[in-house]
Amino acid sequence: MPSGSEPRRSAPALRPILRLAAIAVGAALILSFPAIAGNPYMVTVGIGILNYAVLATAWNFVGGFTGYISLGHGALSGLGAYATALLVTVAGLPSFAALLVAAALVAALAIPIGAAALRVRGASFVIVSIALVLILVLVFQSWESLTGGSRGLVVPRPFPALHRAEHHRVFFFLFAGLLALALAAWWLIDRSRFGLGLKAIREDEDKSEALGIPTFTYKLVVFVVSAALTALGGGLYALWFGDLDPVFQFSVLNGSTVVLMALLGGVRHLFGPMLGALVVGAGLEYAKLEYGDTPLHLVATGLVLGVVVMVMPDGVIPALSSLVRRLFGPREASIREVTAAELLEGRRRAPPPPPEPAPPRDDAAEVSR
Amino acid sequence: MVSGALVFQSLVLGVLLGGLYALLAAGLTLYFGVMRVVMIAHSAFLILAAYLAWYFHRETGLDPLLSLPITVPLFFACGVAIQRLLLARLRPATRTMMSVLLTFSIALVIEGALGTVFTGTQRRLQLPYSGASLELFGARVAVVKLAAFAMAAAAMLALYLVMTRTRFGHALRATIQHPEAAQLVGIQTARVAGYGFGLGLATAAIGGTALALDSTIYPSLHWRWIGPLMAIIVVGGLGSVVGTAIAAMVLGMAMSLLQIPLGTTWAQTVFYLALFATLAVRPQGFFGGRLAKRF
Repeated sequence: MPSGSEPRRSAPALRPILRLAAIAVGAALILSFPAIAGNPYMVTVGIGILNYAVLATAWNFVGGFTGYISLGHGALSGLGAYATALLVTVAGLPSFAALLVAAALVAALAIPIGAAALRVRGASFVIVSIALVLILVLVFQSWESLTGGSRGLVVPRPFPALHRAEHHRVFFFLFAGLLALALAAWWLIDRSRFGLGLKAIREDEDKSEALGIPTFTYKLVVFVVSAALTALGGGLYALWFGDLDPVFQFSVLNGSTVVLMALLGGVRHLFGPMLGALVVGAGLEYAKLEYGDTPLHLVATGLVLGVVVMVMPDGVIPALSSLVRRLFGPREASIREVTAAELLEGRRRAPPPPPEPAPPRDDAAEVSR
Repeated sequence: MVSGALVFQSLVLGVLLGGLYALLAAGLTLYFGVMRVVMIAHSAFLILAAYLAWYFHRETGLDPLLSLPITVPLFFACGVAIQRLLLARLRPATRTMMSVLLTFSIALVIEGALGTVFTGTQRRLQLPYSGASLELFGARVAVVKLAAFAMAAAAMLALYLVMTRTRFGHALRATIQHPEAAQLVGIQTARVAGYGFGLGLATAAIGGTALALDSTIYPSLHWRWIGPLMAIIVVGGLGSVVGTAIAAMVLGMAMSLLQIPLGTTWAQTVFYLALFATLAVRPQGFFGGRLAKRF
């Protein structure tokens, strides 16, 4: 984990500066994209990718920290989209107030759903997550009086005065802002004690429970946070796109595309899901342009997902960085790879650590004595 | 007012539907028992078998039931291959989660391939006995539905006999109950697990042919099946074949009865409501044994 492990070789002060510079360059590239892109079509592609990046990062709160794979985040984003749309059209709220209220509503709904899904481990969580999508597509298709059913639901635009290109530009920046929010939240949790507890659940739920981590509460809280961010992404999409159809909003395929993005980029990395969204999102858009909408894109998505799961379940970033590390430079071990003997040697050289270091290290040292 | 005859008719149809659900859910529960994996692609293979039966009938003009001698061994081999070549190679620590993604990707490939080869057009088998129906204590039941139920029942019986009467069945059950102990008494659990997987997929071949007899098929149909099937195995208790069969019957009948006041679409939600209720009240399922409690 880059945020957790200390660099050993390179000058200690240089790494954070380099990282900050890289982030600044990345942010500048993203923000200047609408100006560089030229035509509105490219901006819409950019918005699509940013939307995917938001959803993949939001998914990664559950998938990355706890290791629970949800195929049902499409349901949460769809609920966010429909809630936003209905709050605007039926309740008459202003667009962005509706967005926030919708996110709060979905987060509230995520509590009972998460409680049912997370009480038992593993398999049931996945089953519930898929069932959620399947039940919602049934409900939203059948309940025509409220949702418009398969005819779709038109959402009024939040800025009626803007013409089309301007509308896209504004939403590009809104999506970028939401992505920044999601990334910041993930980063904060990653560095917190809460995040440490979640990662302990991912590594070994029984042991972390024995160490006194309230596993159920932790899982539920992070699920709700993830649901709220996913709903914000879905709601913003509704305001931007302006037309909702249950089949596209509540689709297991969309949910799995998001999982593929996060997995491909690397679920243990802050920017992994975002990079995955960039690669997969651009690939999907290219395929649509080049080959149209054929069933073959299902085959391609399936094959890519299968290969990623079989060959590099940790994602491209760890696969590449371990390759780079093997080719250049010395081996740099993560926390999990430190053997007891190495730890002992390290301790002999350095003064003994303060009485309460991170639990896993202490554990390993205990064994080595 | 709902007439008694209509209710009885629905009950009969519910039992017939429940039989098919029971067979398919038995396959799912078998995978779960053997490897603790949720096989999302099960219903995709179901639709694949239905398409193969339809294609077989279109090309040869023979009865689709005659495609079984081809599809059953084929699916058995596919199941063994999927277990040995793909699922067994996943890291044990993350297998439950990753296997979902892997089988999901298999489902996508099958759906996409069916859509490419046979197009998205809805297909339906036209057989000489398609329109025929029987009077059964005042309820009218289509012959094809009866045939589908008979196939499902026969397959369930065969599965039961294999599991309880054969040496392989004993080895399989031992592997499900306690893999380490099974290894200690000399059972080659890896191989047995592979065959168990093949057996599970063979149920999809039979179920698919039964499905093709009486319903319209299209590539994305498998989403309609996987939800109810997963709900059934959770309600029945993950890993318990008997519990699965009971849950399939009860939920199949409940859906069939609810179709009278609610209509087809809303009636389907009964599966999901049962799923959530089960997880909230009794997460190990209503008929699940020791195995379910581990999850």
